[in-house]
Amino acid sequence: MPLFFGGWLNWLSGPQSTFDVAGPVAKSQLDVFYVTLWVTGIIFVIVASVLTYATLKYKARNAADEHAPTPPQGHGNPLVELSLIAASVLALVFIAVPTLKAIWYNYDVPAAEKQTALEITSTAYQWWFKFEYPSEQIDGAGPLVTANELVIPAGRAISINLRTVDVIHSFWVPKLAGKVDMIPNRGNHLWLKADKPGYFWGQCAEYCGEDHAVMRFRVIALDAKDYAAWLAHQKAPARSVTADDGKPGATYTAYTYTNPGRNAPGYTAAFDADPLGSWFKWQKPEADEDPVLIAKGRKLFQEKTCIGCHAVRGQEGVGVSGPDLTHIGSRTTIAAGLLENSKFNLHRWLTDPNGVKPGNKMWTTGYNSDGKTVFRIDDEEARALVAYLHSLK
Amino acid sequence: MEATAHAASAGTEAHAAAPKRSWLFTRPTAKTGIVSWLTTVDHKKIGMLYGISALFFFLVGGFEALLIRIQLAVPNNTFISHQTYNEMFTMHATTMIFLAVMPLSAAFFNYIMPLQIGARDVAFPRLNGFAFWVFLAGAIILNIGWFVKSGAPDAGWFGYAPLTSKAYSDQFAGDMSTDLWIMGLQILGVSSVIGSLNFIVTIINMRAPGMTMMRLPVFTWMTLFTAFLIILSFPAITIALVELMMDRSFSSNFFEAAAGGLPILWQHLFWIFGHPEVYILILPAMGIISEILPTFSRKPLFGYPIIVFSGATIGFLGFGVWSHHMFTTGMGTMATAAFSLMTMAIAVPTGVKIFNWIGTLWGGHLQMRTPMMFALGFVWMFMFGGFSGIMHSAAPADAQQQDSYFVVAHFHYVLIGGSVFGLLAGIHYWFPLIFGRKVSEFWGKLSFWLIFIGFNVTFFPMHFLGLNGMPRRTAVYDGNMGWNDANLVSTIGAFILAIGIVVYFAVMIRTYFKGEKVKIDPWDARTLEWSLPTPPPEHNYDVLPTVHARDAYWYEKTHREEIAKEHAEHAKAEASHGGIHMPSQSWFPLFAAIGLLIGAIFFVNHMFEWAIGGAAIFVLGVYFWAAEGPGGYHVHLDGDDHHDGEKH
Amino acid sequence: MSTHAATDAIDHHHDHTTSTGIPNKKLFMWAFLASDCMFFGTLISTHLIYRLHQTPNSPDPKKLFSIDLTLFATFVLLVSSLLVALAVNASQKGATKSVRRLLLGTIVFGLTFLSCQVFEYGNFLHEGLTLSSSMFGTTFYTLTGTHGCHVAIGVFWLTLMYIRTFKPADERPWVLRSLGHLVVFAAVAVSCIITLVSAAHAIEEHGFTAAVLAHAGQHNIVTIAIALVGLGLLNWIGRTSKAVDFGEANAIDIESLGLYWHFIDIVWIVIFTVVYLLEFL
Repeated sequence: MPLFFGGWLNWLSGPQSTFDVAGPVAKSQLDVFYVTLWVTGIIFVIVASVLTYATLKYKARNAADEHAPTPPQGHGNPLVELSLIAASVLALVFIAVPTLKAIWYNYDVPAAEKQTALEITSTAYQWWFKFEYPSEQIDGAGPLVTANELVIPAGRAISINLRTVDVIHSFWVPKLAGKVDMIPNRGNHLWLKADKPGYFWGQCAEYCGEDHAVMRFRVIALDAKDYAAWLAHQKAPARSVTADDGKPGATYTAYTYTNPGRNAPGYTAAFDADPLGSWFKWQKPEADEDPVLIAKGRKLFQEKTCIGCHAVRGQEGVGVSGPDLTHIGSRTTIAAGLLENSKFNLHRWLTDPNGVKPGNKMWTTGYNSDGKTVFRIDDEEARALVAYLHSLK
Repeated sequence: MEATAHAASAGTEAHAAAPKRSWLFTRPTAKTGIVSWLTTVDHKKIGMLYGISALFFFLVGGFEALLIRIQLAVPNNTFISHQTYNEMFTMHATTMIFLAVMPLSAAFFNYIMPLQIGARDVAFPRLNGFAFWVFLAGAIILNIGWFVKSGAPDAGWFGYAPLTSKAYSDQFAGDMSTDLWIMGLQILGVSSVIGSLNFIVTIINMRAPGMTMMRLPVFTWMTLFTAFLIILSFPAITIALVELMMDRSFSSNFFEAAAGGLPILWQHLFWIFGHPEVYILILPAMGIISEILPTFSRKPLFGYPIIVFSGATIGFLGFGVWSHHMFTTGMGTMATAAFSLMTMAIAVPTGVKIFNWIGTLWGGHLQMRTPMMFALGFVWMFMFGGFSGIMHSAAPADAQQQDSYFVVAHFHYVLIGGSVFGLLAGIHYWFPLIFGRKVSEFWGKLSFWLIFIGFNVTFFPMHFLGLNGMPRRTAVYDGNMGWNDANLVSTIGAFILAIGIVVYFAVMIRTYFKGEKVKIDPWDARTLEWSLPTPPPEHNYDVLPTVHARDAYWYEKTHREEIAKEHAEHAKAEASHGGIHMPSQSWFPLFAAIGLLIGAIFFVNHMFEWAIGGAAIFVLGVYFWAAEGPGGYHVHLDGDDHHDGEKH
Repeated sequence: MSTHAATDAIDHHHDHTTSTGIPNKKLFMWAFLASDCMFFGTLISTHLIYRLHQTPNSPDPKKLFSIDLTLFATFVLLVSSLLVALAVNASQKGATKSVRRLLLGTIVFGLTFLSCQVFEYGNFLHEGLTLSSSMFGTTFYTLTGTHGCHVAIGVFWLTLMYIRTFKPADERPWVLRSLGHLVVFAAVAVSCIITLVSAAHAIEEHGFTAAVLAHAGQHNIVTIAIALVGLGLLNWIGRTSKAVDFGEANAIDIESLGLYWHFIDIVWIVIFTVVYLLEFL
């Protein structure tokens, strides 16, 4: 039995735990939850004891009890009834007061932090998230845009505008803040703050169609210095590697690929052990990259019409209906937070998008746009595309 | 149309002999066999039809739930596809709410309520039959999807716009799964509203002499409140569905964002219906519990007026809390605060009921029969569900819980631990009355414990899943989220629960054929229906009872001489009126409902000309229904039914 | 409920066979109207919510509406309510002939209202307002259309009740005859609406002159012929009826119908205020 109860505590420590909070908004929500837990817990103990006592004491135990004369036929006691009503109302006041306080606190960035708050616009698509930084304008290209991984400065209030281009979605990073929905024709917003640098899991929390289960994202909080460096790098155009740059890395394509099948996990224990550390590693170009292969991949990226939906700022990609890929190589995940951004996983995503995320828009409007013929990327092409996309650090 | 005398105008004499009638209006008279069921106007038979259909769909919905639990047993599972999973949770919810719990409640309303108020039928017997056939038509339409290319509806039981609009729910040309869902729910709404209007009139107008409102059994009170909730809340969803149907079929703009449509409006309309719906599901079960606890405690319900008024308060406040389903839609601080407080307020009348049930037990002689076990299980589980409900009422806490498995745990505690336990208790309780046989205590209790344990093992871990950040309606999850153990435990629990349900029904079926026979009033119960022989005769009461107190039958049992004298007098009076008047059976409720079904199926397929044909059959059915008149015949207690056609 | 109901004087305000004394049908109708209030409440709210929000391509309702026409239609519906009240009164006195005349009057006024609505829709469609052209079109047509359906159902019910007053007292087969009666009635009603609306459109366009009327008459010669023949048939059926099975006992049916008719009248007044008049504030 103790083992069983101990197990329950382990059940509350996942990467999306609402108990292991990392910011003031999630904290205030947890505090309200504890208040409700205490109040209802105390009422439960009292009511349950009385119920148990009544059941055990008045239970018929034998044939004699069964056939005993009927008990007094009392119809109730108004005094008892009314005082119990009063007591319940009183108990609810204990919940109501902190609830009201937290409603106002959670609604918007506190006045004192308004000046320093960072504004971000998050737009949901079926089934991924776009993030824009309106305060970070790039000449001729509008605001800085990224996808599925939101990078924020720790210790600073973040005010997020929530938009959607299609159906209703919901923005939820449990460790930082409760969810707020993204609804068409409705300008919602939420605010959050990460106390310390960290790597946080988020997920769409409103049913939004076939791939709702795999519409995920990450929030990465960095200290001020790292954030500034990241920002400078992101605002730069895509990194360009041409066939003449350096010598080919022979080892680069030395991975074997076999399709692991539908819903196969796309995460590794090594990454989970230190996700933020892994994120930093992802920011630097790979040592063994193969410039020839990268150039081939860049060409394929045009030939396979990827550029129609995906932007690669400073290069050929101009589309806006899919995630911006200018710095895709520096993101830790692909396919909306579903797979870690490894060569193997990117290869899998490029060659079998429908197996990874059934019915996703890259599949329905790109690979299989007429519903009959399927546009294929073979093993060799996939390796070149992986090399190109991973070079976009 | 039926209740008023169809008397001749002044000057024409009443007809002594059975008149010549056109073949069209020859009333069916079969008392057994298929025709008797298809044409029945007997509230008990209609109740049985509701019950059997509801239990069938309960098993269908349960099967869907098991597929869901198998898929979630382990992370990254490939048992069913995302698409199929989405169909499963959509249809599981729709089926359990509209095709299982609501009709099972309707079965009790039909069978038990008229008996409890000492009536011989409902106010409009043919309309009652019509409500059932329309229900069946709606159920068929909702489930057609499984058998056609479109697939079953997959937009969630809440159907949030704009996921249901043409742009997002039309994966291929002619995908009608969402149209089926819209049409099915509209037709079920028609059935529910018609049925409820009938119950309202019946309870208000057909009570036996002396059965004042404050002497009504609590189950009858809850029937009345539920009926009012239905007639006042279903219009909201019906109009929302009409608007959606207009969008999908006639290109209007209600929820089209590009034309300025507000998808949030759908949520408001849906939950203005959806929250009262929660009470539509739970109040009947509370009524059943309020019958069972006094019977097996062998004392009257504690605080009857408070139980009744708290039921009314719940019903009333139920219309003012809908937006607590929308705490995460960015309503703004004032609205969120107001709905938070209203939601807390509704916990008070609910808590009051629990206090009064405990008060009923206090000082009683508790007989731990199977119905009592289920009733106590209800009190415990409903308490759990109530407490997690209070947690949701605190909007900031709800921001984390909304659309997570915590909510799934909460409403299953209320709907299974509450509604379903109450209804299963009711089946056990009234089984001897309806079938004249009693379930073995051993097997009954075994099924109770299997269901109770299985239920808790399934749903208790879900609280943890939700607080650990697992969102609802997700077909797969990764193994690194800390959700694996709880999900596996939950799936194991689901199978224990399933075994419990199988045992429950197997025992019921065996009891139906081979159970121990019982005599009148096997539980020593308190309300009027137990004064009837088992099974009750078609006309229910040989002599309409006169009610002298709350717990009317208990009074009869303690004042036998007085009652016997009274009965003899009333029997004589009734005989002088020509015997017991009963309504005639009719084909036309079924006829009209079939027209509705045909019209609806063609409409869903956008074959509007043919749909008009279906509508014409419906109108013709109603026309014949009106033209044939209420009819009626007299039952004489010597066993000789005298059919005298339309006039009497 | 029992045979002596016909011989005893009927108390129209109490039904001694029910617990409350209110006849079941009346109670049913009241409960149904409570439910129907919610239907219209939802539709009217939808319209208002969208009027309070900016939606693209919204026409200016002030320019669109012809308030004179709507005022006339409202008046017509109010008068029909008066007529149905008189019909209830007459039926309680067992004056079947007068019930018939008053029901016919109510039907004519109801049909006039529907004609106004069809005429108005024609004008709006001409202006380019459709169900899908803008949110205003969507909510306007759905709300007024739903009300129009209620009126049409009411007219249908009035017609059935009118035909019911011809049910023969003897046991002659009547159902098929009544269906025929209904078909003729429907043909007359539809023909009249088509003729009137098309004539009104012509007059609106070309002015009220003899030439225009003659042209409109020529144009609608078929519908006019159907209407005239139908009216003749109706008159014939009315004259040839003998003793009928319709009397005071049926007053409750007329009363339920009357409740329904008053209700859709009240709903119209709300719609007229909220959808039309509020735009002019």
